[in-house]
Amino acid sequence: MIEVQHVTKRYGPVTAVDDVSFRVDSGQILGFLGPNGAGKTTTMRILTGCASATEGQAFVAGYDVFEEPVEAKRRTGYLPETPPLYPDMTVREYLAFAARINGIRSVAQRERVAAAMARTNVEDVADRHCGKLSKGYRQRVGLAQAILHNPDVLILDEPTAGLDPKQIIETRELIKELAGDHTIILSTHILPEVAQTCERVVIINKGRVVAVDTPENLTGRLRGSETIRVQLDPRGADETAVVQAATVPNVSNVTATPTQDGLVTLEVQCEKGADVRSEVARAVITSGWGLLELTSMRMSLEDIFLELTTSEEPREEDAEAPEATDA
Amino acid sequence: MRNILTIALKELRSYFVSPMAYVAIGFFVFIYGYFFVVSLNFMVRVSMQAGMMGGPQAINVNEYMVRPLLGNMAVVMLFLLPALTGRSYAEEKRSGTIELLLSSPLTGPQIILGKYLGALALFTLMLGVTFVHVGVLFLYGEPELGPILSGYLGLWLMGGAFISVGLLISSMTKNQTVAVVGAFGTALMLWIVSWIGDPSSGSTTTEVLAYLSILDHFDDFSKGVIDTKHLAYYLSFITFGLFLTARSVDSERWRG
Repeated sequence: MIEVQHVTKRYGPVTAVDDVSFRVDSGQILGFLGPNGAGKTTTMRILTGCASATEGQAFVAGYDVFEEPVEAKRRTGYLPETPPLYPDMTVREYLAFAARINGIRSVAQRERVAAAMARTNVEDVADRHCGKLSKGYRQRVGLAQAILHNPDVLILDEPTAGLDPKQIIETRELIKELAGDHTIILSTHILPEVAQTCERVVIINKGRVVAVDTPENLTGRLRGSETIRVQLDPRGADETAVVQAATVPNVSNVTATPTQDGLVTLEVQCEKGADVRSEVARAVITSGWGLLELTSMRMSLEDIFLELTTSEEPREEDAEAPEATDA
Repeated sequence: MRNILTIALKELRSYFVSPMAYVAIGFFVFIYGYFFVVSLNFMVRVSMQAGMMGGPQAINVNEYMVRPLLGNMAVVMLFLLPALTGRSYAEEKRSGTIELLLSSPLTGPQIILGKYLGALALFTLMLGVTFVHVGVLFLYGEPELGPILSGYLGLWLMGGAFISVGLLISSMTKNQTVAVVGAFGTALMLWIVSWIGDPSSGSTTTEVLAYLSILDHFDDFSKGVIDTKHLAYYLSFITFGLFLTARSVDSERWRG
């Protein structure tokens, strides 16, 4: 549905987007993740025709965005970083205008505007001026504008920025709902959002794609080793638990740290891919210690994000190279 | 065509929901009225002097009243029209609403023509209101209608040229003030460009500069002559201005 092939964007000596390639299948939600200035917005602007690329090709719904921009734009809904609202129009007028420039007129226009307002929950401000709306409403009116003409592809630049927690949940639900009929690209800073809403993640840093994968695989793939955190009650027993845990197969290292309330926390590291939780639990129980808590410490998306975007150049290249073909 | 109209109506609407349209029309008509009185007094004085000299008292209203009046209004337009077009692109670029237009299935020329026609419609309205004064002239005098209409056509074309310059400058900046000052400067330069030439020398440079001057082409219209040469000048001026605007908007996609 969306295909980006080796897109590069240069501003004079600055390369904002460097040879970015990825694909989004029909009905999928793709999360676009990266620090500020990574090139997320630029890539999105290229896809929506607001900017042009120095090199490369991009297809939206089968149309080349550079060769057949009007056809591609007809099938794209775009919510830029700042919702593009005209302050002197009421929400209803604004959406009617947005409908008209998308070729929706007369009877259909009213229905579409009403439907989009209902979907994004902005009916109660329908007759207020866009300039007087709160950030949350602006964002949702912007979203209403993007889905108004029922496009195949939705490109949302930080759709939940500036919303309160309740609205964020509602918007995420809405985006998930939309995913069935629409193919969605969304960019965000909020990492859990990607884990919750997206089926695939593109991590981009300094204009380059650093990783493309599902959120689950990403969390799995980057663990060199897995860590289990075990909280124990010593109950006066000796330190055999530590020894016992260390003898479990595949366990590479065990560190014990006493906590302030007299408990002990064990960090058990094991080989990648091995699940040693039940063995560790058994070892602890047989040693006579009380097992209070056992948590598998998966690397959160945040850790991965930081690792991918802050690590040194050569590492980045390693991570990126196999992914480019994967995309 | 419908797309152009949609944009044009949106532009026109934005003038009327802000004080812009009212201030522009109000001042334009007020100043027109002021010059009307000034020209009238001038004509009466000339007429009386002619009478005292023993000549015929009936003075040509078109020559002594309408022509200087329209000439003065051309100067007023030079000040006023850049202010009208200043916000056109600059404001959309500043607030980011330009992305709504750019990502919609409209072509660049549709957006530009829409914006142009929107501003032109407001200007036409400004000019239209002043027909009230012309009506007064007909009520009490016997001016010739032809030269008045051709004079208005000249003003209208000149306004159209100013608007296309204004649109071009506005498409180059995010800052409204820069757009207004830039458009005014450019229009003024085009107005006075022929002054540097020496009319007595008859050199090619002088002739070219005279041809470029936006003012020189207006002269014949106000005399009641509609010359294709001048029509072609204004129409090609406008077309060229809009073409450059299209290039400027397009180049924005490469730069930003």
